Amino acid sequence: MKARGWLLLLLAALLALPWLLPGYALEVAIQALILALFATAFNFVFAETGLLSFGHAAFFGGGAYTTALLMQRAGWPYLLTLPAAVLAAALLALAIGFFSVRTSRIYFTMLTLAFAQLVWAVVHKWYDFTGGDNGITGLHPGALWGDARALYYLALVLFALGLTFVWRLHHAPFGYALRAIRDNPARAEAVGLSPFGYLLAAFTLSGALAGAAGFLQVAWQRSAFPDFLYWTKSAEAIIAAILGGAQALFGPALGSVVFVELGAFVQSRTEYWPLVLGLVLLALVLFLPQGLAGLGGGRARG
Amino acid sequence: MDLSFVLLQFLTGLAYASSLFLLAVGLSLIFGALGIVNFAHGSFYMLGAYLLYWVVRGDPNGLWWGLVVVAALGFVIGAVTERLLLRPVYGRPEHYQILLTYALLLVIEDGVKLLFGAAYKSLGPPAALAVPVWVLGAPFPAYYFVQIALALGVALLLWVFLQRTRYGALVRAATQDREMLEALGVNVPRLLTVVFALGIGLATLGGAATLPMQTVSPGIAVEAVISAFIVVVVGGLGSVWGALLGAFLIGEIQAFGVLVLPEFSIAFVYLLMAVVLLVRPWGLLGRPPAVRT
Repeated sequence: MKARGWLLLLLAALLALPWLLPGYALEVAIQALILALFATAFNFVFAETGLLSFGHAAFFGGGAYTTALLMQRAGWPYLLTLPAAVLAAALLALAIGFFSVRTSRIYFTMLTLAFAQLVWAVVHKWYDFTGGDNGITGLHPGALWGDARALYYLALVLFALGLTFVWRLHHAPFGYALRAIRDNPARAEAVGLSPFGYLLAAFTLSGALAGAAGFLQVAWQRSAFPDFLYWTKSAEAIIAAILGGAQALFGPALGSVVFVELGAFVQSRTEYWPLVLGLVLLALVLFLPQGLAGLGGGRARG
Repeated sequence: MDLSFVLLQFLTGLAYASSLFLLAVGLSLIFGALGIVNFAHGSFYMLGAYLLYWVVRGDPNGLWWGLVVVAALGFVIGAVTERLLLRPVYGRPEHYQILLTYALLLVIEDGVKLLFGAAYKSLGPPAALAVPVWVLGAPFPAYYFVQIALALGVALLLWVFLQRTRYGALVRAATQDREMLEALGVNVPRLLTVVFALGIGLATLGGAATLPMQTVSPGIAVEAVISAFIVVVVGGLGSVWGALLGAFLIGEIQAFGVLVLPEFSIAFVYLLMAVVLLVRPWGLLGRPPAVRT
C-alpha cells in the first residue's frame, strides 16, 4: 500500500507540473518524458533479454519521419499519424531484428548499430523524399498540440501507457519466457521455447514503442531531422537506462529525467556538455555500477 | 570505362582501404584479446590526426617523423587508458564496457575541441609527394601510394609479430583462453595493456596518415568508428586478416559503388554486410562461436 501511495503522489505531481513550471522548464520536461518513453522502450529488450541494441534510433527516427512525412505530404492531422508511426517503427524493427537477434550478444549490438546507420544514411541522402540533411521542418501539429501543456499531457499519457505495457509484459508468460531465454538459452530451447521468435517479438514491440517516442519528438521540435536516426541518439537511450538502473522498472525514466535536466543545466552554462556527460558516465561506470536506482537500496522491479 | 580509369578507381579504393585497415585492425585485436568493443576507437583515430598536426606544427614536410611520434604517443595514451579505466571493468557485464568507451568518445571529442579548437585542420602532403604520379596517362595523388605502403607494411609487421615472435604467440593465446595463460605464469594484465596500447597506436597512426589527404574535424570520430565496426563485422571480429580483407572489400566497394549510385554508394557496403551475416554470421575470416550465447 505504501508503494501505491507514493505512486499516486508522483502521478499527482506529474499532472500538476505544467501549471507550476515556466515555459522553458516545461519544454525540458516534455523532452524528458519523450526520452523516458524511448529509454523504457530500449530497456525492455535490454532488461528482459540481455541484448543491448545500439540501433533504437532507427525506430525512434522511423516513427518521427513517418509522422513528419504523412503530415507534410499527405496532410494528415498530427494525432492520426501515431498508429502509422508505431507501425512503421515496428516493421523496421522486425526487419532489422530478423537479421540481428540470431547472433550472439556483442554481434547483436554491432549489427543493430550498423543497420540503424544504414537507415540514417538513406534518410540523410534521399533529398527528394526525406529532405536529406535539411530534414523536414515547419510542421504544425494543429492548435492543440502546438500548446506545450497539451503536448506534455500527450507525452505523459503515452509514457504511462508504454510503461504499463512493459510492466504487463514483464509479468506475463511472455516476459518469463524471455528471461528464461536470457538466462539459459539451451534449457529454454529444450522446453520448447523458440528463442528466435520470442526475441524477434520483443525487439519488434520495443521498436514500436520507440516509434511512439519519435512521434512525440516531431511535435516537440515541429520538425524531423536525420539526427533522430544517428547512432548517438541510440546512445542517449542506453545512457538513460543504465544511468537510472536497467533492472528497475522506473530506472530508464529516472535516468532520462536526470540526463535531460542535467543536460539543460550544463548547456545553459557551457558548450562542453558532452565532456561533462562523459565524465559523469566514467564516474557512473567506475563507482556506481547499479545506476541511480541502486542508491536507494537496489530493489528489483516489482 | 577505359582501363586507366578502372585502375585509378581501384587504387583510390585501395588507399581508402588502407586507412580503414589501420583503423579497424586495432579494434579487432582489442576485441580478440580483451573482449571489449571499443566505441572510442574512432576517437583515437581522430586524435591521431590532431596530434600529427600538433607535433609537426602544420609543416607537411615533418610528416615522416611526425607519424612515428604520433604512433608512439598513441601507444602511451592507450597504455595509460587501459591501466586507469579499462582494467577495473574487465569482469563486469559488457554494457559497462560499452558505456565506458562511449564516455571516452565524448571526453576525447570535447577534449580535442578544448585543446585544438573546433576548426577543421588540414595538412598537405610533403613537398616531395605534392606532384601527382601518372598512371596509364592519368594523374594520381602520389600520397595514396604512401598510405597503401603503410598499411601493407603494418600488416606484414603484425603478421611477423603475431606468428613469428613469442609475445605474438601469447597474444594469440590470449584470444583463446586467458585463464590458461595466467595459469601458465604469463603476466596477462600486462599483455592486455600491450594489446590495447598497440591497437590505439595503430588507430592514431591511421588517423594521422589520412591528414595529408583529408581535412579533419572532431566529428569524424563517430563516423570512423562505425566504418571500423562494419569492417570487422564483415571480416570477422578478432581477426587481423579479417580486418585486412574487410577493409579491402569495403574500400573497393565504395570506390566502384560511387560510379553506379553516387549518392548511395554506402548502401552497397551495408548490402555486403547483410550478405556476409546471412552466410557467415561470424564474419568472413572469423571463428564460429563454440557455444551460442
